[in-house]
Amino acid sequence: MLSLIVFLPIIAGLIILAVPSSQKQIIRIVSLLAALGQGVLAVLIWRQYDPTMAGIVAASGGSPFGSFQMIEKIPWISLDLGSFGPLNIEYFLGVDGISITMVLLTALISAIGVLSSWTIQKQVKGYFILYNLLATAMMGCFVALDFFLFYVFWELMLLPMYFLIGIWGGPNREYAAIKFFLYTLFGSVFMLLVMIGLYFSVIDPLTGHHTFSLVAMADQANYIKGAILGPDSVTWRYAAFIVLFVGFAIKVPMFPFHTWLPDAHVEAPTPISVILAGVLLKLGTYGMMRINFPLFPEVFQAGMYVIGVFGAINIIYGAFCALAQQDLKKMVAYSSISHMGYVLLGLAAANSEGMLGALYQMFNHGTITAMLFLLVGVIYDRAHSRQIDKFGGLASYMPVYTGFVTVAWFASLGLPGLSGFISEAFVFVGAFREEVTRPIAIVSVLGIVFGAAYLLWSLQRMFLGKRKPDALYDLEVDAHGHEHIHFHDWKGKLDLDARELTMLIPLGIIVIALGIYPMPVMGLLTTSINKLVQVLAPVAMSAVH
Amino acid sequence: MFEMPSGAEIQSIISILKGGAGFFVPEIYLSALFMVLIILDLVTGRKNARFLAAVTIAGLVGSLYYIFKQQAMPDTEFFFGMYALDRFGIFFKYFFVASGILAVLLTVIDDQLKKHESGMGEYYALLVAMVVGMMMMASSTDLLMMFLAMELVSLSAYAMTGYLKRDPRSSEAALKYLVYGAVSSGMLLYGFSLLYGMTAQTNLTRIAMVLAAHGYDPLVMIMAVLLIMAGLGYKMGAVPFHFWSPDVYEGAPTPVTAYLSVGSKAAGFAMLMRFFFVAVPHGMDMYVSPLHIDWLMILMLVSAASMIYGNVVAIWQKNVKRLLAYSSIAHAGYLLLGIITMDQLGTQSVLVYLASYLLMNYGAFYVVILIANRTGSENLDDYRGLGKKMPLAGAALTVFLISLVGLPPTFGFIGKLMIFSALLSKGSLFMWLALIGILTSVISLYYYMLIPLNMYLRESERPEEGVVETGMGAKLVTATLMILTLYFGLFFQPIANYAKYSSVLFGAFLN
Amino acid sequence: MDQTLSGFGTVFVFLVLGIVFVAGGYLTARMLRPSRPNPEKNSTYECGEPAVGSAWVKFNIRFYVVALIFIIFDVEVVFLYPWATVFKPLGPFALVEVLIFAGILALGLIYAWVKGDLDWVRPTPNIPKMPEMPNRRIGKANG
Repeated sequence: MLSLIVFLPIIAGLIILAVPSSQKQIIRIVSLLAALGQGVLAVLIWRQYDPTMAGIVAASGGSPFGSFQMIEKIPWISLDLGSFGPLNIEYFLGVDGISITMVLLTALISAIGVLSSWTIQKQVKGYFILYNLLATAMMGCFVALDFFLFYVFWELMLLPMYFLIGIWGGPNREYAAIKFFLYTLFGSVFMLLVMIGLYFSVIDPLTGHHTFSLVAMADQANYIKGAILGPDSVTWRYAAFIVLFVGFAIKVPMFPFHTWLPDAHVEAPTPISVILAGVLLKLGTYGMMRINFPLFPEVFQAGMYVIGVFGAINIIYGAFCALAQQDLKKMVAYSSISHMGYVLLGLAAANSEGMLGALYQMFNHGTITAMLFLLVGVIYDRAHSRQIDKFGGLASYMPVYTGFVTVAWFASLGLPGLSGFISEAFVFVGAFREEVTRPIAIVSVLGIVFGAAYLLWSLQRMFLGKRKPDALYDLEVDAHGHEHIHFHDWKGKLDLDARELTMLIPLGIIVIALGIYPMPVMGLLTTSINKLVQVLAPVAMSAVH
Repeated sequence: MFEMPSGAEIQSIISILKGGAGFFVPEIYLSALFMVLIILDLVTGRKNARFLAAVTIAGLVGSLYYIFKQQAMPDTEFFFGMYALDRFGIFFKYFFVASGILAVLLTVIDDQLKKHESGMGEYYALLVAMVVGMMMMASSTDLLMMFLAMELVSLSAYAMTGYLKRDPRSSEAALKYLVYGAVSSGMLLYGFSLLYGMTAQTNLTRIAMVLAAHGYDPLVMIMAVLLIMAGLGYKMGAVPFHFWSPDVYEGAPTPVTAYLSVGSKAAGFAMLMRFFFVAVPHGMDMYVSPLHIDWLMILMLVSAASMIYGNVVAIWQKNVKRLLAYSSIAHAGYLLLGIITMDQLGTQSVLVYLASYLLMNYGAFYVVILIANRTGSENLDDYRGLGKKMPLAGAALTVFLISLVGLPPTFGFIGKLMIFSALLSKGSLFMWLALIGILTSVISLYYYMLIPLNMYLRESERPEEGVVETGMGAKLVTATLMILTLYFGLFFQPIANYAKYSSVLFGAFLN
Repeated sequence: MDQTLSGFGTVFVFLVLGIVFVAGGYLTARMLRPSRPNPEKNSTYECGEPAVGSAWVKFNIRFYVVALIFIIFDVEVVFLYPWATVFKPLGPFALVEVLIFAGILALGLIYAWVKGDLDWVRPTPNIPKMPEMPNRRIGKANG
């Protein structure tokens, strides 16, 4: 089942390879079917998933795979390394509360990305092959439980992303693409070293051999004394934690490793921005929760404060930068940085509320930001501009569009009743509860204020106020005295068309529904989050439920 | 002074030689192939290039049978300790035959060599001679034999480099190669003579025994080792013995460039490993020697310098062949990392890395030739928009380059993974080298990606040209190499296990 | 070790003797000979040729080819003499071996012959043409 959901897009990619490149519609439909298939599978997985099982680590005395579900474990590579015993790499997939949330999000965003890619006209075949490769790699990352497998999927994302930004991007795409590639690779090569170091430091209790299994690595009892990352090797454990953290932080992106993100977003085509913000950024924080923190809990305990500070910097710095942007897409990109700061803050609190909020925020940010980027794409398609000050009074011409914008904008700034509020509230509750993070939380609240400022300000400038008929669009008055505008070079419907509605309505429903009743998602992850909190802090900490 | 040996003595010598010849069949077979090629060239007419290529490939494939038969034979040293038959050597025999076959495949499609006026007879003969020489480099266990083998490789390589007689670049490259080669051969020989002076032995195992039994003067030792390393470093193309390689790689006919960058480099590594592991296996006593340096320390510095220099200088290259030349310097640095660990895992990782390098480097050069046939240029700027014109070749080249960077899921990643595993299995001892290794591989991403950048992200100046046909055979070879690079990136078990099996050197003192 | 040291001792004595011998000759000559220099005498001895002009004279390349072929057969003789001295006890095997050896050398000679390297006067003068691939070599030379 998990294999299918991971490799379905790549199968579609292979089919597309055989389709002649002139058959654009077939190519799109094949991709859409694959994405919908992923969605159906994700729903099936969701229905089968038992939210009472925690995952995270192997249950003591219980199943050797821990309480992960839908496990697929096949020996992949077995090498004889002489004095180091056999090198065993396993094809090991499974889900727990953390990953299933992300699987659902990935399936959703992938499908929306395909729909959003419908307008791509240039080299459609190549585009969708790369897109499907990317979809496979993302999904694979979230379900892989073998570090080696995870690393393969992780690196596999880079190349398609590079080309997707580089070929189908905006004017400055070469720079943005290589910057993205270099930044993320810089983070991940260190991961390779840590991965090898962990391999030599961990023994799988089942086989007695070294292992890449993340489940085994998450149990501190499996580490060998005297190994390079063994329990007594404090220096190297700190070093490994830091480089891993930096590797994931680049993906998040955390200040000061964030500079690739605005460039990448501004240049990337809309669907790729959606994927990037909706899924790829989550991989950074997911990696922290799955790998970085549980494998080095004592270092995490020592570094919580620092992580929290960086989270706060992200929140406030991102908001300030967003406030200063003239380009709407850049503003949304910086708002992403700001919102990912909440995730970091929640993780730094390291209690159930904080972690829960962080994970929930990851899901909500995925859906909300996807909406934001889609909406930016809509206006860019029509006006070929994203300069905030060139628009004005759009509300009267594009009422439906404005409606969606309002929902997305308000969800993003955390209005109660919309999903963003709940996760941010949890994050703050969690952060307030801990002595360490309380001051940080107080400072971070400012972020909400600034967040409201840039969002409301842009809303006001673009959609309310005076109309600005200029280079972007013409104003016409018809026989009945009604005013109409039409954009240059835009033949389609002025307001949202059917395809755009298909993408936005589900997202809008999710954002509102999860704001009112968060349990469908929250219920999935509480057990796992509690377990994770336990793993991270051996000293007992109370749980929410 | 000279005493005539008695008949019985001579008879026994002859019988020893005859007995040894049984272990020497692939080399004899290939020497015969060399002569057959020359004779065929003489008896057939001018337009015989394709025929000779077919004979060469058939002959090389045939030699695989004899190498395969050697696998059943026990490890042994023969020809009075001049030569060894062991799994390590057999691995390299397969390797060199494969690299010879690939070199022929590259030659067949190269337009530049196709137009060569005075025929291709000598070319294929020299190619086979080089295969023999490289095999001997990997298997020699005696200083004299090592030197002879290396000269055989070098001389063939000089001639092949200058094969485009009327092309001044090719001649220049050959001359540079020759001059550098002569100097480093001289240094190597001088190092050998110092070693002989210290031990009065030429056999590697016996040198090790004498050194262990009687000790040695560390100063003389470091002199000898430095000189020998200069000679071997020249073959491997490692800093600071690399000066020839960019010019030679750029000037030589592209198939020869590929052949040199894989075959002769690997031969250098094979010889380096056999020499240092067997003859001077005193890697870890650096704190005993008064200078606090020994060959291991030198190798570390050479490795670090190669990785940094090769990768950094490659950034500014505008010519793809030159770019790949610098990248090959960097790869020599990565390969040295596996030797530095001085254990079986390290040796295994070097063998795996070499196997991956064989596939990806030949693959990259294959596509470079295809493109040069079309555009008449190896300049980066002329690669613009080629992704659309040559879809398969472009995709394949991207895969090969990604593999050269060392990203999954390609074979090159496995090579890097093994190398770094070998380093980290020693704990934090070699951490600094591992860090240099991974940081420079990030740098390498930048310049390798310049090629896909030009192919895909930039538009051609002549967009009106449609898809370029490269021919069925070329497509087949490109696709095969690409699929193999990807396949072994995911399922590397057979190769890695075979490398493990082959990482036992005859007479080596590895743990 | 002792034996090898004495072996090197022999070499050392040989070197010293050689230096003494040559130096002695020069010294004796210097003491005995009359000294009447003239420009002709002071010029470099060049087989009777006047030593004028650049050292970078172009020799006909065919000299080298012939010299190389000569060396091949020179070396062959070096191998054949010791072989001849032990031919009897070795028997037919040695004969076959040397035939192979000579055969390879003969192949080399035939090769040179067929390729026209032995023709001193070439039947058709080969006028060098510039290669017809101007584009290919534009690449920058500096590294």
